[in-house]
Amino acid sequence: MGCLKMFELDQRISEQLTEVALNSSIQVRCGNSNAFMVTASTMVPLMQMFEMGGVYISGSRSAMEMIEAFETIGIDVSNIQFIDLVSSGVLGGTDSTRKNIHYVDSPIMLESILLRALYLLRTTTLERNFVILDSVNALAIYNDDRMLAEYLHTFINTFRQREVLSVILNVPDQTPPLVLSNLDLYCTDLIDRGQVVIH
Amino acid sequence: MQPAAVYTRDRCVTGIHGLDEILRGGIPYGSTVLASGTCGSGKTTLGMEFLVRGALAGEACAHFTATEPSVKLLENIRQFEFFDMNMVDTGLINVFDMDVLYSWLGLEKSSFDLDDVHALIKAIVDIVNTIGVTRLVIDSVTTLCYKIKSEQLIRDFLFTLGKKLSTLGCTTILISEITSATENAHWSSFGVEEAIADGIIVMGDVERMGHLLRFLQVVKMRGTSHSRAKHAIELTPIGVMLTPMLKWGAQGDKQGKWGA
Repeated sequence: MGCLKMFELDQRISEQLTEVALNSSIQVRCGNSNAFMVTASTMVPLMQMFEMGGVYISGSRSAMEMIEAFETIGIDVSNIQFIDLVSSGVLGGTDSTRKNIHYVDSPIMLESILLRALYLLRTTTLERNFVILDSVNALAIYNDDRMLAEYLHTFINTFRQREVLSVILNVPDQTPPLVLSNLDLYCTDLIDRGQVVIH
Repeated sequence: MQPAAVYTRDRCVTGIHGLDEILRGGIPYGSTVLASGTCGSGKTTLGMEFLVRGALAGEACAHFTATEPSVKLLENIRQFEFFDMNMVDTGLINVFDMDVLYSWLGLEKSSFDLDDVHALIKAIVDIVNTIGVTRLVIDSVTTLCYKIKSEQLIRDFLFTLGKKLSTLGCTTILISEITSATENAHWSSFGVEEAIADGIIVMGDVERMGHLLRFLQVVKMRGTSHSRAKHAIELTPIGVMLTPMLKWGAQGDKQGKWGA
């Protein structure tokens, strides 16, 4: 991870992540402009300090784009399986030969996303796993508020029961209030790097 | 005060991820279960996994196929990571083409009468008895029953077959093709199969904004309590996987709004 020094990670996140219970769920709040930095700053300590791998649900950008971005800053994602919710909506978007990218037709297929993540976690050999949902806002574009709130409830509890850490990325000022309040209720931990937007 | 002991029937543990949980332990032994579904809903895959899981547990299993050649069927089940061709070689999984069976019995005709139906039942029961089959799948009972022209004869065929297989301790899945799995649809092709069967598993698709999401729902299962909720399913190399379908997303979007 030689390039990490050039890309400034938020050290406060790794300081906050000194202890991680696998049956917990972390809500990670970020802003529009720092989303990738916050995501990377959360993933790196989980992978380096806790030797975790797992599943990355890529709803904001294509998995290929995310992998390239992580690799550019020196993060090895070979222990992470990506579920891409974006590329099937683009003709030719699923052409990648990467074996750790799995496609779901649409972010509307919420149960399929959950089942695909469960399947991938059952095939992993790692002892400690996470599932990162990137992001609530991307899912909110396609899904009704009530359904999304219900989904997050199911999602978090499913992985908590299976001792898989869930990390839910979220831009609060773009999240429907019903979903946001439920997320606050279900998640056990909060990393707040949301940005104040002055209009 | 201690609650009274409740009698529970022995179960055929299907081994299918989530299904045994829905059935509170599995299908009651010797049951005849109708697996009804629309095309592409995963009926054949479910049936094949039921057999392969049985073979993994050392049970003798049989599959009567009327919808696709046995060679093609075996090719399709190679997708399961837990399938081993030795299961076929050692006689744990036995696949029979219905066309070949009809030919053996001299039943190469467009419709069956009472004698033909009895001959067919006897042939199936003899095979089950001879091999010691404990798990059987007939795919599909719809194709088979198309040759039986009267509803009464279909009813007799299924009732007699189910009774004889149950006596032999064989748990049977009858796959049925239906054109719609919505609330108002029949759960079987001819309307009589659902009354005869001990259990009904309905499989279909929920349409969500142009995308089809597979579901499975146990409508009826005699001899056990069970969930009657819709479950979303995925067909994976480690088998069929289920999760409860979102309550706000189970209706589809025919009215253009969710949960209407």
